Amino acid sequence: MSLSRRDLLKITMKAGAGAAVLSGIPGPLLAQLGGVLPESVQSIRDPMIKELALRAVEAARGAGASYVDVRLTRTRQFGYGGRIEGLVVGVRSLVNGYWGFSSGRLWTPDEVARLGRESVGQARALAIGPVREVDLAAVPTPVDEHWTMPVEIDPFEEVSEEEVSDFLGGLKYFIEAHPNFEVPSSPLATFVVQEKAFASSEGAYCTQRLHRSSGAVVLRLKKNGRELSRGLDTLTPAGLGWELFKGQPIREQIRRLMDEMEEDFAMPVKPVEVGRYDVVCDARTIVNLVESTLGTATQLDRALGFEANASGTSYLNAPLEMLGSFEVGAPLLTLTANRSEQGGAATVAWDDEGVRPDEFALVREGVLQDFQTTRESAAWLAGNTKASREIRSNGCATAPTAVEAPLTHTPNLRVAPGSEAVDFDDLVSGIEEGLAVKDMDVSMDFQGLNGMGQGRVYEVKDGKRVAIVAGAGFLFRAPELWKRLVALGGEASMRRYGMASSKGEPEQTTYHSVSAPPAVFEEFTVIDPRRKA
Amino acid sequence: MSEAARRQRAEDSRILTEAECRQILERAHAMARGGGDTGVSIKSWWQGELRWARNRASLSSDRRNIEVTVIRKTSSGNQGSVVINQVDDIALEAAVRTAERISLMRTGPSDPGFVPKVPEYVRPPSAPIWSEATVGLDAGTRAEVARKMIAPAEAEGFYSAGYLEVRAAAAATYTTAYRDLLTGEYSPVENPYIRWTQAQCSNTVRDATGMGSGWAGLSSYDWERIGSESDALAERAVQKCKASRNPVALEPGRYTVILEPQAVADLIESLVTLLGASGHRGRESAENPLMEHPFQLGYDNATGLMLSKMGLKVVDERITIEHDPMDPRLGIVMSPLERPGPVTWIENGVLKRLGHNFNTGIEALDGINGLHQLRGGTGYRMSGGDTSMEEMIRTTRRGLLVTRFSNIPALPLDSSSMLTTGLTRDGLWLIENGEITRAVRNFRFTESPLFMLNNVEQIGEAVPVFRPTKKETGELTPAIVPPIKARDFSFTSLSDAV
Repeated sequence: MSLSRRDLLKITMKAGAGAAVLSGIPGPLLAQLGGVLPESVQSIRDPMIKELALRAVEAARGAGASYVDVRLTRTRQFGYGGRIEGLVVGVRSLVNGYWGFSSGRLWTPDEVARLGRESVGQARALAIGPVREVDLAAVPTPVDEHWTMPVEIDPFEEVSEEEVSDFLGGLKYFIEAHPNFEVPSSPLATFVVQEKAFASSEGAYCTQRLHRSSGAVVLRLKKNGRELSRGLDTLTPAGLGWELFKGQPIREQIRRLMDEMEEDFAMPVKPVEVGRYDVVCDARTIVNLVESTLGTATQLDRALGFEANASGTSYLNAPLEMLGSFEVGAPLLTLTANRSEQGGAATVAWDDEGVRPDEFALVREGVLQDFQTTRESAAWLAGNTKASREIRSNGCATAPTAVEAPLTHTPNLRVAPGSEAVDFDDLVSGIEEGLAVKDMDVSMDFQGLNGMGQGRVYEVKDGKRVAIVAGAGFLFRAPELWKRLVALGGEASMRRYGMASSKGEPEQTTYHSVSAPPAVFEEFTVIDPRRKA
Repeated sequence: MSEAARRQRAEDSRILTEAECRQILERAHAMARGGGDTGVSIKSWWQGELRWARNRASLSSDRRNIEVTVIRKTSSGNQGSVVINQVDDIALEAAVRTAERISLMRTGPSDPGFVPKVPEYVRPPSAPIWSEATVGLDAGTRAEVARKMIAPAEAEGFYSAGYLEVRAAAAATYTTAYRDLLTGEYSPVENPYIRWTQAQCSNTVRDATGMGSGWAGLSSYDWERIGSESDALAERAVQKCKASRNPVALEPGRYTVILEPQAVADLIESLVTLLGASGHRGRESAENPLMEHPFQLGYDNATGLMLSKMGLKVVDERITIEHDPMDPRLGIVMSPLERPGPVTWIENGVLKRLGHNFNTGIEALDGINGLHQLRGGTGYRMSGGDTSMEEMIRTTRRGLLVTRFSNIPALPLDSSSMLTTGLTRDGLWLIENGEITRAVRNFRFTESPLFMLNNVEQIGEAVPVFRPTKKETGELTPAIVPPIKARDFSFTSLSDAV
C-alpha cells in the first residue's frame, strides 16, 4: 500500500500537539514506503524549523540571556555502521559572561522553549561566581540564507544500498581475481548527510546541507608463507558524495597498490640502526605530522589552557607574544586553513556560530600568523598588534551535532607545495644516503611537544629505495621539526586526507581534511621504539 | 535536596522508563509487516556537565538523547535494523519499514530448524548502581563544587582546569523472538531494563609559568562518594603542582617505581580489555595460532591445537583481578547474558578465565549454565596489600614516584609481550634513601604491564580510581586498584612536556 504525501500530512496533523511534526517526514525513508518518491525534500528549509529556532531564542532572551544561539541538526547515515537517523536541538546562552547549554531530541515548540530557559538556568548557576568578561567578536549575520554542499551524486537521493553493496562486492571480486591477493575484510562505505539550522539573538538565520563520505578497501598479499596487508588511502572522509567512489579510478589505484605491495615484498629487510638521517616523507606522513603538531597546537583554546584537563596543552602557549613573530618552521613552510575547499571534510558555508569562515594563514614562511578561533577566543587576541589581520573569528566553532556545544575544532589545512614540479620519487632520487617513510602514524605528548612516528620505512642509497627498515621509530620535538624542512614536493604531488579529531569534556569528534606534498627533513632522529632501557 | 532538584525529580523524564521501553517494542511489532520477529535495543541518557579552565567556569550543560535500534527479522529474510532517536508513530513506522526492507535485502544462513527450550535468565544480584545523589546534583550545586575546587588553586596563583559530570542512563533490549520457548521471563537475547548513574570529577592545576602540573580525579556511580572528596581532589592537585615545579632531568634507564593507583590503572588498561571476548581478545584469540596474544602458550603436540595460558601463573601471586558485582564500591551493570555473575579472571597470579563468544565449547563455561557470551572485565577489582605508601617510600633506596601515565596508544608495540609506551604526567618525583627529594622531568616509558606485574615488590591498599566511561550510553567501568612498587621499570627517553 503506498501513501501519498497528502495522506502522510493528514496522519501528521492527527498525531497531536506533542508530535515531532518534522521528524515524521524523513526523506529517503519515505522512499521505502512502496516506491513513493517525494519531491527532493529540503526539509531543513521548512519555515516551521525557523519558528522553532526563533522560539528557543525568544525563550532564552525572555529568561535573561544577553546572547543566544540555537542549532537544530538532522543527521542521517548509511553504509558501514548501519542506517542511523537522529534529530537533535541545542541552545546556548550567555548570562553575565557565563555560558549555559541545554540540548535534547524533541523538535517541538514546548521543548525548544524549555531548552531555551534551561540553558539560561545553567548559565545563571555559574553567574554567581566572579565576574567574567566575554567579548564576542562582531560578525556579519546571515539572514535566511541556505547552502547545500555541492556533490555530484547525492548518496541519499540518487544511490540505493544495493548499488553500493554491488559496487563494493565488485571490488572484492576484482582483488581476489589477482593471484596471491585476497580481501581480509569486506570493503566498506559510509555516507553521512547533515542538515542543520542556526539562529542567534543577533538576528542570524541560516541553514545548510552537508555531506561526508568515506570508505575502506584492504588488500592482503600472501606469498611464500609471508603475508602483508595494506589499505587504499584514497577513501578517507571527504565532503563528497558517491563520486568519492565512482569518480576515482579505484581499480587502477588498487592495481598500483598491488604493485607497490609486490615491490615491498621483494625487498630485503634490515633492522633499524639508530641515528640521524635525511628522511623523505610521503604526503600522508607530512599530513599526519602537520595534524599532530601545528594543526593541534594552533587551536587557541588549547594554547590558553582550556583543554588542560582533557587532551592537553600546546607548546604555542604565549599566543599574544608569538603571533606574527614566532618561528615555528623553516621559511619553506606555509600552512593555510580554510572551510571552503571543495570536498573538504570541514567545508561549510557558516560555522556553528553563524560565522562565514575565511581562508587564513596559520604559518607563513615559517612564522606563526594566526590561531584557530571562535567568536569568543578571537577577542582574546586583541592585544596583539603584529598579526596582519583584524580581530574576527576564523570560523572554527564546530559541534558534531546540535546535542553537543560547539568547540574550537581544526578546519581544513593545506601545506603549500614547493615551486618545483617534483614528487616523492624525485625527492628520493636526491638522497644519497638516508631513509624514506610512507604512511607514518604520529603520537604526541600531552603538550604537543615531543612526538614519535612509526610507518613504512625504506633505506635509501644513491637515490633509490633499496631495503625495508624494520622497527624504526622517528623521534622529534615539534618546535624543531619544521625548522629541519629542506625540500617540498610540487603542486601535482599534493594529496588530501580526511581525518577525525577528538577533544573536549565531554569528548566530541569532528572531521577535517589536510592536504600536503611529500617533503624532506634533514637530521631526523631514528630510534628503535621497542628497545627497553 | 534543593527545590530545583525536587521539581526535577517530580517531572523526571530525563531517561526512558521500563514501561516506555516495553511500549516501544509493542508498538513497533504492531506496525510490522512480513511476519517474523521484532526487536528493539533502547538506550537513553541524561548528563549534567560543568567544565572550567583558567579558574573560571567555561560552560554548564544539561543534555539528553535516546538511541533506539529497531530490528526486524521477516519470515523470508535475515535481520535488518535501523537506529533512530524519535519514537512518535510516523518515525517508528518508517523505521520498521526500513528495517524490513533491509531484512529482505539480506541473504545468508537462516535459522537452524530446531531451537531448544531456552532456560531462564535472571539478572544476578549486584550492589546498587543508581544513586539519587548523582541524578539530583543540579547546576547550582555543581557550580558551588567547582568554585570550592578552584579557590585553593587561585589562592596560590595557579590555574585550575577541570570537569564535573553526572549522568543517568538506561538500557533495555526486548524481542518478540523465542516467546513460545521461554521458561523464564527473559530470553537469552534480551537484556531486561536496567538504569544506572555515573559521576566523575577531575581537575588539573598548572603553574602560571607552565613548569608544574598536578592532577587528581575520581569516578563512581554515586556522587556522594565524590562530593565528599572534591575538596581533597583539589588539594591534591594543588599540592602536586607545587611539588612538581623546577623538575630536574634524570638519565633514562631502569628504575624501581612506586606507581600510584591511577598509574597502575592506566598501565594495565590494555591488559584488562584483553580479558574480554570479541576482537583480538579473549579465549578465541588466545587459542588462535594466527593471532599474537600474550596469553598464548604454544601448540599441543597431541592435538595440534594452540593452547592458551589458562590455568598457568601469568603474574605475581599476590595479584587477583576479579569482577565482583556485589562490591558496593564497584557498581557494575549486569547483563544476564554477557556477564552472568561474579568472575575471577586472575587468581593469585593464575589466569583462571578469559572472555569467550557464544560458540566456544560448553566446557569453557564451568559452573555457569547454558549458552552465553562472557564479555570481559568492564569494571574490576584488583587485590591490594598491607604496605602503606609511606612504607613503600621509606623502603626505597632509589626510585621514582609516578602520579599517572598518559598517551598510551591503543595498540601495543608488540602484541605477544604487550610491550607498550607512553608518558608520565602531572607529577614525577625522585625517591632517595627513603625520602622524596626532587621533582623529575617527565619520562617516556617502554614497558609491558605484564612485565611490571611480574616484578612486584610491594602492594598497597586498593582504592577506587578515575575510570569513567566517556560514551553517554556506555556501561559503568569502575576499578579498584592498589598502588604498586615494582622494580626494573624501563624509562627510555626524557620528555620535557609538562
